[in-house]
Amino acid sequence: MLAVINARLHPVSSSPGRGGLLIREGKILEAGDIRVPEDTPTIDARERIVTPGIIEAHCHAGLSEEGIGWEGNDGNERSDPITPHVRAIDGANPEDKAFRFFREAGITASQLTPGSANIIGGEQLVAKSRETVFIDEMIVLRPSGMKAALGENPKRVYGPKKSPATRMGNAAVMRKWLDRALAYADKKDAGDSPDFDMILESLIPVVRGDLPLRIHCHRADDISTALRLAEEFSLRFSLEHVTQGHLVADTLAERDVFCAVGPSMVHEAKVEMRGNGFENAAKMVRAGVRFCLTNDHPVVHGRNLPAAAGLLQAAGVPAAQALKSITLAAAEHIGLGDRMGSLDVGKDADVVIWSGDPLDARSFADVTIIDGEIAHCRGGDSGC
Amino acid sequence: MHAYIGAKIYPVDGPPIDDGVILVEDGKIAGIGGDLPIPDGVEVVDLSGKVIIPGLVDAHSHAGMWGDGEGEASQDGNERPGPITADVDAIDSVNPHHTSFASCREGGVTTVQIHPGSGNAIGGLCFAAKTAGEVVDDMVLKAPTGLKGALGENPKRGAGKDSPKTRMGTAALIRDYFARAREYGRKRDEGKSPDPDRGLENVLRVLEGEIPFRVHAHRSDDIVTAVRLCEELGIAYNIEHCTDGYLIAGFLGERGIAAHVGPGLSSRGKVETANRHEGNAAILAAAGVKVCLVTDHPFLDARYLMAYGGVAQKYGLSFEDTLRALTICPAESIGVDDRVGSLSQGKDADFLVLAGEPFSFKSPVLATFIEGVEVYTRPTL
Repeated sequence: MLAVINARLHPVSSSPGRGGLLIREGKILEAGDIRVPEDTPTIDARERIVTPGIIEAHCHAGLSEEGIGWEGNDGNERSDPITPHVRAIDGANPEDKAFRFFREAGITASQLTPGSANIIGGEQLVAKSRETVFIDEMIVLRPSGMKAALGENPKRVYGPKKSPATRMGNAAVMRKWLDRALAYADKKDAGDSPDFDMILESLIPVVRGDLPLRIHCHRADDISTALRLAEEFSLRFSLEHVTQGHLVADTLAERDVFCAVGPSMVHEAKVEMRGNGFENAAKMVRAGVRFCLTNDHPVVHGRNLPAAAGLLQAAGVPAAQALKSITLAAAEHIGLGDRMGSLDVGKDADVVIWSGDPLDARSFADVTIIDGEIAHCRGGDSGC
Repeated sequence: MHAYIGAKIYPVDGPPIDDGVILVEDGKIAGIGGDLPIPDGVEVVDLSGKVIIPGLVDAHSHAGMWGDGEGEASQDGNERPGPITADVDAIDSVNPHHTSFASCREGGVTTVQIHPGSGNAIGGLCFAAKTAGEVVDDMVLKAPTGLKGALGENPKRGAGKDSPKTRMGTAALIRDYFARAREYGRKRDEGKSPDPDRGLENVLRVLEGEIPFRVHAHRSDDIVTAVRLCEELGIAYNIEHCTDGYLIAGFLGERGIAAHVGPGLSSRGKVETANRHEGNAAILAAAGVKVCLVTDHPFLDARYLMAYGGVAQKYGLSFEDTLRALTICPAESIGVDDRVGSLSQGKDADFLVLAGEPFSFKSPVLATFIEGVEVYTRPTL
């Protein structure tokens, strides 16, 4: 058991208010007006703001390790543009320093994803930022999605001598393999026994609509291609980056597409990122696009995700919505909206006590709680 | 003449002024103070409730030189093949119409020192420019402001089959080239007219004290090598990035070195940045290093330099030192503090109007002025 008392609770799913949290077996047992049993270890929040843990919905932590160089780069299996059979779990190093910085910054969970060199890049997972040497102990959901990519990256990596060398090549390669996977899945369902093919096996949950295809796309035309492909194959899917989503915001809103937008803090590093900035995200929010914010760690360090939400607020998005974009909306994006992202009874006890406004770059995560356990304590008078 | 009244002013070279007045005439500050008579016929702008600080000075930027959403076609930062390209001048790579300058204005950056990249051991000339204009030559504040050098991973990675292959190789190349420049200068002084060589001439400018050597160094051993080389050569210098600086803060502090610390808010993308520490700026400043916070734009978008200031402050840099690290310190380091970096009479009227106290996302830049002209106005949301 663990109690947090005297908090200014920002539950995200409902309006802020004063109160506390009672935590048992890693879950929130009571929220708001709580009764603390005797002898319960208690953190006095002393009127500080308490939010759910921050979630980085699109993250390469553990796969692109900090300060290691090529030895620590395990994000892109560049041997072929179609690698759905590779898995983030086999590449992510829990000892990447990033996870420690996440704990210190209140980032309690992240979706770890292969990179965008390949048309289909591999299986994703969601990990808590726990301190452990076993990735398995961090995992909340696996697989959480299948990574795909359109636009510049695949054609740059494989072209011009190999397909894909163009954007239409990107789409053709994707179609070819989804067609094959469908045929393979149909054969299996019909009781035929096709020769085992690991690539096609890995794509069955995608073409059957069980596993979301998470499609990297920046430019508006790449977004359109992603929507076209998703519709053709009746995929479960989400869009990742969506830099120019503001140009097609009405379509995205109308189709209720899940969008993880970012990294907005970097300058337009590539042609496909032209016009990058928080104004785009703000326009998407105003158009009603289903939206969460990502730093694409390590492109911008995940620890700066709350500061990014601050800049989103500066671009005109209301504070509550900015906070939601890195908590509940991110949880929903990665398929865990029922388990994380808000301070509701029954949800994982991923909780942060902040020294000030959580979205102010100058504020600290004084205490980070993951699954009911104190994962970071800033010391001093932080209260733990 | 214009009078900006009512705002709280942080002049940087003096104490804050509540309800202050800035008089601007012909692009210069004609007067500044708390109780300043406003001459007749002056256009008065009421900024009550707002905050004014000097325009930010970014001592390490690649604005207009790469990035800018144009891909390969606009990669003009590193003249390869290296490793010595002392003859190139950054001014010949800069496009004032690139969006990076709009980013600078939006983020309140009014002066930038634009560097060639760090791919080469000696990369070329840097220069200082204002961030508004149509023709780069009209934007120049001072040129050149330094010669770019680089140690550590980048030069040895970029070299292909040639030297440098190692850190000692990079140092040897720099030593050798400076020795050749000295020899070139000796011949010239003896009236022997050596074959003209722009690269050697530029290095001579460093040897003769006209411009400093600005050395890219992340890791502490690279920083120490930079100091060793520059002390050996007897030249003025500063450290670019200085990522590991906090590990050798005493060594740097006792030399009073200027460190251009950044890019802010970034990751440890390379081995040489593995020790990156958010408290670096604060520790260096406490040790007596002249700290300048830099974007290394596009690595941190210039729009978010103030947010970087917030983070530096969060990790121990005082409010005053943070403000100085974004204004007067870089102005001094670039050698343009007679014109910019603080708000005092006679200096350029480069200033920002903020919605509130600096370094919070709640205090965005409402307006950016360069030489009295409003070059950015925050759009109504």
